[in-house]
Amino acid sequence: MKKSAFVLLVSFTLWSCTSDGPSGPDADDFDREAILINWADHIIIPSFTSFAESSAQLQSDAFTFAESPTLQNLETLRNSWQSAYLAFQHVSMFEMGKAMGLRFRDNLNIYPTDTGEINENIQEGNYNLELPSQSNSQGFPALDYLLNGLGENDTEILAFYTTSDNSDAYHTYLADLTSRIHSLSNEVLTDWTSGYRDEFVSNSGNGANSSLDMMVNDYIYYYEKHLRAGKIGIPAGVFSGSPLSSHVEALYSKGFSKALFNEALDASQNFFNGTHFESDGSGESLGSYLDFLNTMKEGADLATLIDNQFDAAREKAELLNDDFSAQVESDNSLMLSTYDELQRNVVNLKVDMLQALNINVDYVDADGD
Amino acid sequence: MNLSKLLLFALPPTLLFSCDIIDNNADDFEVPPTYEFTRNGESTVSFSGQTTRIKMGDELFLAMSDFNNTTEELLLQMYRNQADDGTDVDPFSDPGLNASDKSIKSKVAASRDYFSTNVSLSAEIKNDFETWLSGQVNDVFPNRNQLAEPGVAGQIADGSGERYINAQGLEYDQMVNKSLIGALMADQMLNNYLSPAVLDEGTNREDNDAGVTVEGSNYTNMEHKWDEAYGYIYGTSEDPANPNSTIGNDDRFLNKYTGQVSEGEDFASLAEAISEAFKLGRAAIVAGKYDVRDEQAAIIQGAVSTIIAVRGVYYLQAGKRQIEAGETGSAFHSISEGFGFIYSLQFTRVPGTDQPYLAHSEVKQILNDLLGDGENGLWDVELSTLDALAEQIASQFDFTVEQAASI
Repeated sequence: MKKSAFVLLVSFTLWSCTSDGPSGPDADDFDREAILINWADHIIIPSFTSFAESSAQLQSDAFTFAESPTLQNLETLRNSWQSAYLAFQHVSMFEMGKAMGLRFRDNLNIYPTDTGEINENIQEGNYNLELPSQSNSQGFPALDYLLNGLGENDTEILAFYTTSDNSDAYHTYLADLTSRIHSLSNEVLTDWTSGYRDEFVSNSGNGANSSLDMMVNDYIYYYEKHLRAGKIGIPAGVFSGSPLSSHVEALYSKGFSKALFNEALDASQNFFNGTHFESDGSGESLGSYLDFLNTMKEGADLATLIDNQFDAAREKAELLNDDFSAQVESDNSLMLSTYDELQRNVVNLKVDMLQALNINVDYVDADGD
Repeated sequence: MNLSKLLLFALPPTLLFSCDIIDNNADDFEVPPTYEFTRNGESTVSFSGQTTRIKMGDELFLAMSDFNNTTEELLLQMYRNQADDGTDVDPFSDPGLNASDKSIKSKVAASRDYFSTNVSLSAEIKNDFETWLSGQVNDVFPNRNQLAEPGVAGQIADGSGERYINAQGLEYDQMVNKSLIGALMADQMLNNYLSPAVLDEGTNREDNDAGVTVEGSNYTNMEHKWDEAYGYIYGTSEDPANPNSTIGNDDRFLNKYTGQVSEGEDFASLAEAISEAFKLGRAAIVAGKYDVRDEQAAIIQGAVSTIIAVRGVYYLQAGKRQIEAGETGSAFHSISEGFGFIYSLQFTRVPGTDQPYLAHSEVKQILNDLLGDGENGLWDVELSTLDALAEQIASQFDFTVEQAASI
């Protein structure tokens, strides 16, 4: 009894400071389906389509390199690895439906990758990449190690694929990893285009199991755990106390972590604004929903605040070295100040936006054992 | 008794402290600011045996998931600290533990009040742990590189990591870890060392009144028994005299979950209530105030029992939420932890009685129900079952399912 009164009081108080109160527009009057359609048809499916294409190219170039491991083919393969990794930044946040069932993001992008296990897989051969315990020995980070991290220079790296005793095993592992990325991406895309899109769009009500509530939760979870923490906070030592320069994304490429971060930041901002994939067009979005509700925070328009905060984070990140690992080691304070800018939008999104949209957070931190 | 327990839980720690002062006035004895007691300038506090057993439990738990080095024989030796034939063995990595003649098994389900005249149940419980240890090596280890499915042991994803489960969906290492909280820590503390049957055994009262110390030691027998209870929760504390500064971070057993449960707003006073009661009770022993001592023991019994129950209910509800979200592996992990806390309920103690909050038979019924919705245990468990069992547990205590679930 005491507790329910407290909750009532809190929700009433919060309500009164983040919107103009019960007399303003009702969240339920907004056409939620229009947002879902814009997301599905102009952002999600085009992003997965693009990713499936670039992962097909990645697989094809890996097979070519395996057949003919020349420096030129290695460089081609590295380029398609970069393109596919960038394209992945546009789909990583959509961990729902088939992607959730496949543990799509975990299979494609757990870093740091487990180089010990990768080497063991290559030596012994009898690995099963579908096992959860193999998540950290596959995907883009494992390819990063295989293409950029096996040796000090290109000659040393190429030797693993040409003159080493088990060069065949290296070819096979490259082929297996790229094939798996390609098949997983196809599976998710096919699911979206063969039924899930309609299911997603028609589930347009409100409540914890509605598409909007689930998507918004997945989006904020991605922003908080994978963009803010994974790409910046963890290597900067925000959670461990001391910096961990080996925990950056694309560690072995030495100079690609910033590009991946920027791509992910763009994708997150575009999603918020409803900006169409690889186009200047836009449609209904979280931003327009907040505008519809006239949501204000401390006298300012919340949607504008959030959009500007994305820009502020990007601006802060411009100062960073292309290689975050080098940045952590030379001047970690710049990483920390980028983290601070990212964190400001966690509050805007997770507290202010969710209250205005009347959406509950559906995830909690695990207790760690 | 019931009234004082309720009051303690309701009052903030600062007010709790004033209770001490009232007691001081009434009974006129000195209570030190921290758990430090001396005789002739030397400390009288000792609980090294408890520290040893907590550390043994820690190594045992870690060994259960060390696929490359662990054998069934090793786990059983760690549990018994001796070989099959009773000869001495060195199964631990810490030489101090190998040198010890103590073991986990000898103190599992071994309290004076509950098991001294019920050795058949004691043996059954001791054997449960051996069954789980053997199952880990014989059922789970061979399938570690196989995806688990209903009726088949193997690995299952939990977030970005993986868990290793048996054919019923249970994690043996979690069952051992959490069940020891009841079978070892709570049972020894609540039903043995805090019991008048142990504290007042033989000439303990006369000796304590006269300041007669145990031969070769600086403490009286009664002082030492009380300290041994203390050691089962604070035995690996960073600063055992002031244990709440790191409560929750000092072990993976009772200390850890006292800290975690006390983070909930409805249970925030529990950690403080337990440490204050231990301190006041110990001071009462020094002063020969045995009624005050027993009041404090009752507070500890109620609070520690509550912590175990809250955590059991919490994990059932966490598992329910995770199943609803499609997070099967996370749900099985939560419910495996819950299994251990529920198992531990048979070692709880209703203050002022000689009974647990849930008897052995009730605990067995709950665990059978938990695994009984289909032939494959947790793979078949229904949400309504998780709710019903959580209600059944909470109804025996002064908290609701919602309060426990919201920590």
